[in-house]
Amino acid sequence: MLPCPDKPPDFLAKSFVVGGLILQDQEMCCSAKERKVQMDNGFNAGRAIKVSSFNGTDIYRIDTDKFKTSSIHFFFQDNLTRETVTKNALLPAVMRRGSQKYATLKDISMELENLYGASFDCGVTKKGERHIIHFYTEFLSKRYVPDDTETFDAALDLLFSIIASPAFVNGRFSEEYLAQEKEKLKILIQGRVNDKMQYSVDRCLEEVCRDEPYSIFDYGFAEDLDAITADELTAHYRTMIETYPLQVYLAGSITDRETDRVIALLKGLPGRNVLTLRNGFVKKEGMEKRQVTETMNVTQGKLCLGYRTNTAADSADFPALMVFNSILGGGIHSKLFQNVREKASLAYYSYSRLEKFKGLMVVSSGIEIKNKDKTLEITEKQLEDIKNGIISDQEIEAAVKSIETGIKSLTDSQINIVDYYLSQTVSGTNDDFNDIIEKVRQVKKEDVVNTARRICLDTIYFLTAPENAEQQ
Amino acid sequence: MNIERIEYEKAGEVLYKYEHSSGLKAFVIPRKGYSKKYAAFATHYGSVDNEFIMPGEESPIHVPDGIAHFLEHKLFEQKDGSVMDKFSALGSSPNAYTSFNQTVYLFSCTDRFEENFDLLLNYVQNPYITEESVEKEKGIIGQEIMMYQDNPGWRVFFNLLGAFYKNHPVKIDIAGTIDSIARIDRDTLYKCYNTFYHPSNMMILAVGDVDPGVVFEKVEGAIAHKQPRPPVKRIYPDEPASVSRDYVEQQLAVSIPIFQMGYKDRSFGEKGIDLIMYETAVKLLYDILIGRSSELYEQLYSEGLLNSSFDTDVSVENGYSFSAMGGESPDPLKVRERFCKALEDVKRKGLDETAYNRLLKNMRGRFMRQFNSVERISHSFISVYFKGVSMFDYLQVYDKITFKYVNEILHEHFRQENLAMSVVKPV
Repeated sequence: MLPCPDKPPDFLAKSFVVGGLILQDQEMCCSAKERKVQMDNGFNAGRAIKVSSFNGTDIYRIDTDKFKTSSIHFFFQDNLTRETVTKNALLPAVMRRGSQKYATLKDISMELENLYGASFDCGVTKKGERHIIHFYTEFLSKRYVPDDTETFDAALDLLFSIIASPAFVNGRFSEEYLAQEKEKLKILIQGRVNDKMQYSVDRCLEEVCRDEPYSIFDYGFAEDLDAITADELTAHYRTMIETYPLQVYLAGSITDRETDRVIALLKGLPGRNVLTLRNGFVKKEGMEKRQVTETMNVTQGKLCLGYRTNTAADSADFPALMVFNSILGGGIHSKLFQNVREKASLAYYSYSRLEKFKGLMVVSSGIEIKNKDKTLEITEKQLEDIKNGIISDQEIEAAVKSIETGIKSLTDSQINIVDYYLSQTVSGTNDDFNDIIEKVRQVKKEDVVNTARRICLDTIYFLTAPENAEQQ
Repeated sequence: MNIERIEYEKAGEVLYKYEHSSGLKAFVIPRKGYSKKYAAFATHYGSVDNEFIMPGEESPIHVPDGIAHFLEHKLFEQKDGSVMDKFSALGSSPNAYTSFNQTVYLFSCTDRFEENFDLLLNYVQNPYITEESVEKEKGIIGQEIMMYQDNPGWRVFFNLLGAFYKNHPVKIDIAGTIDSIARIDRDTLYKCYNTFYHPSNMMILAVGDVDPGVVFEKVEGAIAHKQPRPPVKRIYPDEPASVSRDYVEQQLAVSIPIFQMGYKDRSFGEKGIDLIMYETAVKLLYDILIGRSSELYEQLYSEGLLNSSFDTDVSVENGYSFSAMGGESPDPLKVRERFCKALEDVKRKGLDETAYNRLLKNMRGRFMRQFNSVERISHSFISVYFKGVSMFDYLQVYDKITFKYVNEILHEHFRQENLAMSVVKPV
């Protein structure tokens, strides 16, 4: 059982288990995880209620008491561009070093420890062509704390001081923190190659979108780091605070008083005039398929196929695309698992995944290098079969049920609930968990076939060892 | 049917427990309001159990490395096809994993829990392994092994175990090697199965919004063996107290050196709460010495010697124990030097009691947070179960542990002669 479907990464990543029979597919989303509860969406997951909206700031509250923790999330959003991406990535890295009230990493850590092991983190992610800077804190809800600590207030103070009152020296970010974090960010960017599975999938989709902003890596460009000065980053901080649309989510056991405090704090931020966002969905058909080969000192080859789905997340066909993806490579019931792995024994993992905002799909398999052509052939045949309507009723049924289980399971994780609602706002949809399940259940075989016929292969990406590359 | 109900008021949790006539224990941890229902069927059999005496036999047998994990893959095959298809038809996700000490079969579902649970109880007790399917699986597991060979985090950790241990099988990769799995056949798989998959050596756990009575009734009805069997005789080689090597290095396609270093500790013969008391003490010591709020971490981070990939890990098992810390660093040897120096200072001056109290509080909170996730509950519960403890015993440990005890462990665990380091360097 490899990647744990639940975030905070401090858990399964560290426990040394092998094996799992199956490499779990992961959602391609997400950055990083006895009072009466609203049950109006059918789940004890709370519904995201917009409690306030002003100056490009939206505040949502998700009431649920099933978790032992509550959390506060700030999402600042920008359009993904070469000009701002590296500064957007550097900003939270420098900001997390300290605030006026908590001057050092050590001060922040001590406060978190005193709050019964609360978490704080920040970073960047992309959804389609939006670049999102995420700051969050998660902490034990008050009723699980053995004393009278107001955990919400304390965690909010910490988070807000980091966001609104950075540890400026002479009105700008500290040169020392800046230099250190530039170096660390450079290491992080260069470290992309360390995780071959993730790297190959990312690189494949970047190749598909080679002429579009989506191809920009979330953490920016190492070569752009040197030129960023403390003055520039400070100016960029003001740009973020004053012009980036901001969404705040309060999740867990939250009171009205606590909500009002958040609203009051945010109203105190400088006047805002926010920019307009896009998600970058593109339709593209009839292109020639390209081969991209990259070499590295690897044992296993990673074959990734990048496609345009030509179905937008807000289109009526999107549920059919979800079913299509599930049939093709969305789990153990899928054609890829059954044929590439179980029948041909070519791979331990072979799956497909959607990037719903940009309209992309990737198929990824870890294989022996010499089996590239064979794997490619079997993979393409699976997609062709779906286009030709070779889908059994059991396949559709298993796919629909698997999606249903997946969506219901999201409601058991606070970070996944928040991410679900955030994603809805990015794709411009307004589906609750039940709405989407209902739509998926209505999908017919011909809808799947029609959706499949719009899908176009763009790039065949292969990560391989040097000596094999020469034979290609 | 005798069902025990244990309430942990402080944690707001309840544990239901039932013991089958075979000696198998089953547990339910309810999660009101959760969509996911989860169950695991686990055996006390992992990658370290490569030499043992089969029940009724006199002489030990030695089996190929990676066989426990191989068997895990093969159990999904049934007479009428793969049991995965049946789970798929129910819309649930089956999975399994093998660690050093246990093999765990599990599923997660949101509907039709009882049918899923029946399937789990049934297939784990009914292997159907053919020579042909064994050969086919070698291709799949071969790719799994190769995937881990390209994983620097995995390599650096197993290289550290290789530095710690001269003989103990914990140093062997859980999945084995391409060569060792080539030697696996149907007959040996059945020998392992018959030795370790007796219910006396197993446990069952369900987590979710499920009815404990129903779960236990199903267990009672489904477990085929009704009589207990004495424990399996496991044979482990003699292992010297000191490390095998103090430094190992490997080159891989990475952008920056990745390291793991830590202390080999003694073999604990005993089971029970003492094991997790010791583990908690070592964890607290790491938090105090080089945790996020320590002077040392702040310095190493500022100097660029560590970044936020840094993490620590402590394993205290019946037959072996060690601790490890690691992450990315441009100069791992410098980190080692600085850690050792800081350690000497602390040993001389004594621990900071304020930090100890704060970090114990931190640990309590972190423990509570695990209960947010059914997967984490299951993983935590099972990973300590075969050591003879319940995860809820940590609550007792946090109440009983003392500053004095942790000070003693500082001197016992962190011994210079037991320190080893593993580094993966860029090609």
